[in-house]
Amino acid sequence: MKAELVKRNIKKEFNGWWMISLVGAVVILLPILFIFSSIFQEPNENWLQIQAYLLKNYVLNTFTLVALTGILTAFLGVTLAWLTAAYDFPLKRFFRWGLILPLTIPTYIAIYTYRTMLGYTGVVQATFRNHFDYRINPEWLTVSGIPGAVFIFSLFLYPYVFMITRAFLESQSTSYIESARLLGRKPLSVFFKVVLPLSRPAIVGGTVLVIYEVLGDYGVTSYLGIHTISTAIFQTWFRMYDVNSAMRLAAWLMVIIVGIFILERFLRQGRRYHLSNKSKPLAPVKLKGVSGVAAFLYCGVVFLIGFLIPLVQLIAWAILTFDKIWDASFLTLINQTVYVAVISTVIILILSVVVANITRSHSTFSFIVSKCVTTGYSIPGPIIAIGVLAIFIALDGVLAPVYSNMGLGEAPLILSLSLIMLIVGYFIRFMATGFNAVEIGFEKVGTKYMEASRMLGLGVTKTFFKVDLPLIKGSIISGFVLTFVEICKELPLALLLRPFNFETLATKTYQYANDEQIYEASIPSLLIIAISILSVVIIQMIGKRVKR
Amino acid sequence: MSIVEIKDLAFSFSRKEGPIINDFSFSMEKGEIVGILGQSGSGKSTLLRLISGLEMPQKGTIKIAGITVVDEGVFIHPEDRGVGMVFQDYALFPHMTVKDNILFGLSRVPRKERKQRLDEMLELVQMESFEKRYPHELSGGQQQRVALARALAPKPNVLLMDEPFSNLDADLKESIREELGVILKKANMTCIMVTHDRNDAEAICDYSIVLGKANKATHDLNRKPIQKIK
Repeated sequence: MKAELVKRNIKKEFNGWWMISLVGAVVILLPILFIFSSIFQEPNENWLQIQAYLLKNYVLNTFTLVALTGILTAFLGVTLAWLTAAYDFPLKRFFRWGLILPLTIPTYIAIYTYRTMLGYTGVVQATFRNHFDYRINPEWLTVSGIPGAVFIFSLFLYPYVFMITRAFLESQSTSYIESARLLGRKPLSVFFKVVLPLSRPAIVGGTVLVIYEVLGDYGVTSYLGIHTISTAIFQTWFRMYDVNSAMRLAAWLMVIIVGIFILERFLRQGRRYHLSNKSKPLAPVKLKGVSGVAAFLYCGVVFLIGFLIPLVQLIAWAILTFDKIWDASFLTLINQTVYVAVISTVIILILSVVVANITRSHSTFSFIVSKCVTTGYSIPGPIIAIGVLAIFIALDGVLAPVYSNMGLGEAPLILSLSLIMLIVGYFIRFMATGFNAVEIGFEKVGTKYMEASRMLGLGVTKTFFKVDLPLIKGSIISGFVLTFVEICKELPLALLLRPFNFETLATKTYQYANDEQIYEASIPSLLIIAISILSVVIIQMIGKRVKR
Repeated sequence: MSIVEIKDLAFSFSRKEGPIINDFSFSMEKGEIVGILGQSGSGKSTLLRLISGLEMPQKGTIKIAGITVVDEGVFIHPEDRGVGMVFQDYALFPHMTVKDNILFGLSRVPRKERKQRLDEMLELVQMESFEKRYPHELSGGQQQRVALARALAPKPNVLLMDEPFSNLDADLKESIREELGVILKKANMTCIMVTHDRNDAEAICDYSIVLGKANKATHDLNRKPIQKIK
């Protein structure tokens, strides 16, 4: 292409919106690239030791957790999705959304709740001991080690698979399933021959989300003393203060992430069926007698174990400790959580709007920028945390002469001890949440109003404020709430990047639980669950609006 | 001087696909109403988007009122081209009243003149009593008239209309078609109108050109010679 033509094309696309998007993309990519750069540095003694004695174990544990959780969540998610989408049985309408609720209990809360509830002094063993004079073998009920972690992850993360697969089955698969039924196939055969192969992209998509959560987990694995790459990143930083080795571990974890990403593409390859939007909803078949009761029991048991029982237990503990916990310092804790979450969410939403607006041009460049700013969702918190930490320490090094001139002492850590670091971490991790919500809004509105406005003489920015903003404000609000909730729940980033003495609801919960003050942890836990339920309600409302 | 002058225009949506418009040249004089006819996929709407600046050609020059708006080294943004457009589904801003929709394009006009221009436009399209209504409170024909008033209000050099009758009932279409012809002539507007219906063009346009479907083998746009219909 001639130079003049290139210049002209750049002139057409380039404006302030592009500049802001590019800066955002760089901020997001920099820590990730910084982690990879650690591979080329000279390894230190710690790393040689980790590599010789520990790394194999970390990788093996991580793989075992991912594989077992992946299989179990896929099983739970798909079977529950199929039952609630294709059949009618008692309380089915309730289970359609009730079975999403386990997702509102963060796994780091679920693990200490179950471990304590089923422990020697917990309500189950104590009841049998005191009221029925029966001693249960404690080993039967122990939630520990890899099986314990898999139990918690599967039970509280399966809704990712459940939601995506059910939405797919309900809206897209009707004609295929009806054809199979009319061709005389029995229900099980329809499930294995038609439903499973058709919903493979949805199942893989949901399971990969679960795997990302497991890879980034710190709460459950550290509580159960399982050594994974993520927990190792924390230990090398907190115990050895060795950022370089932590970055190398993060690079290893990134390799696994990239591997899973490629595997996901491979598993989906050739499975992107063209499915009509106009497909009519699936008409459920009524299950009678034993099968109806069995379906009800299966859904009911999962709902009880995955949501109701731990919730009731937390409420019971909260009643016991309310007077002790609910004081001025607890209100400060809520204030701090809301403060950092609001600032981060506002930044995320502003950049989301800017990037989503430029992606409407559908150019290759805008596609690349949008992919860059949303990378964070698939990168575990610990990797982002260590990347951000390394960048901020390096930045403080660069700014040392400036600090010194300002009379702040020789080489102090200013930026890397500030709240900015945590905000940047949240920004990278949750940019995708805000962006996706805003992008849906822009897609629904389309480009016609924007084009009409520009034809009437208004530039891109004026058009945005006068035309686009009023039309997509609903999507911006839902993007705000979803991102805010995610940030309030987040644990690993907050633990690693918060300034000294700065606590959020999540870190306080973790700290109480870690100090064996399980009852005290219940009130912050319940607050986190309450805000998570809010996000589920909003997702449901958006779903209904989209359907309409 | 020609008001619109297009020379050797070429455009394709992607490199894989062949050009949808190839070596297209055309010019028209002030006050003329030209129809662009052709089957689906022949590039009629794309041609309007290229003239308005919503798409960028791979090759060729477009001049509007003697000013080059696009060539190999120049690209003038849509908002600075002085081109008005009536969209296929009108694209009236749903959150604004009829009055605000029409005033929207008058931000560069002095405040005092805005009201006067608004009244003129409402009178031209006979919608004086509807200025406080929202688009969803109007019928299809009324929406079309507001879209026309909105596009004409900033006094564009040329008005582009993309299938302006496709959203109207057959009965309504005939009366509105006549009405539109009268309004355009009254405003002495230069207009390019895309339609797939030859009757539309015959009713309103001074003459029409027919775009053929792109030939896959040669990727040539089989543009038929300008055909005087009227």
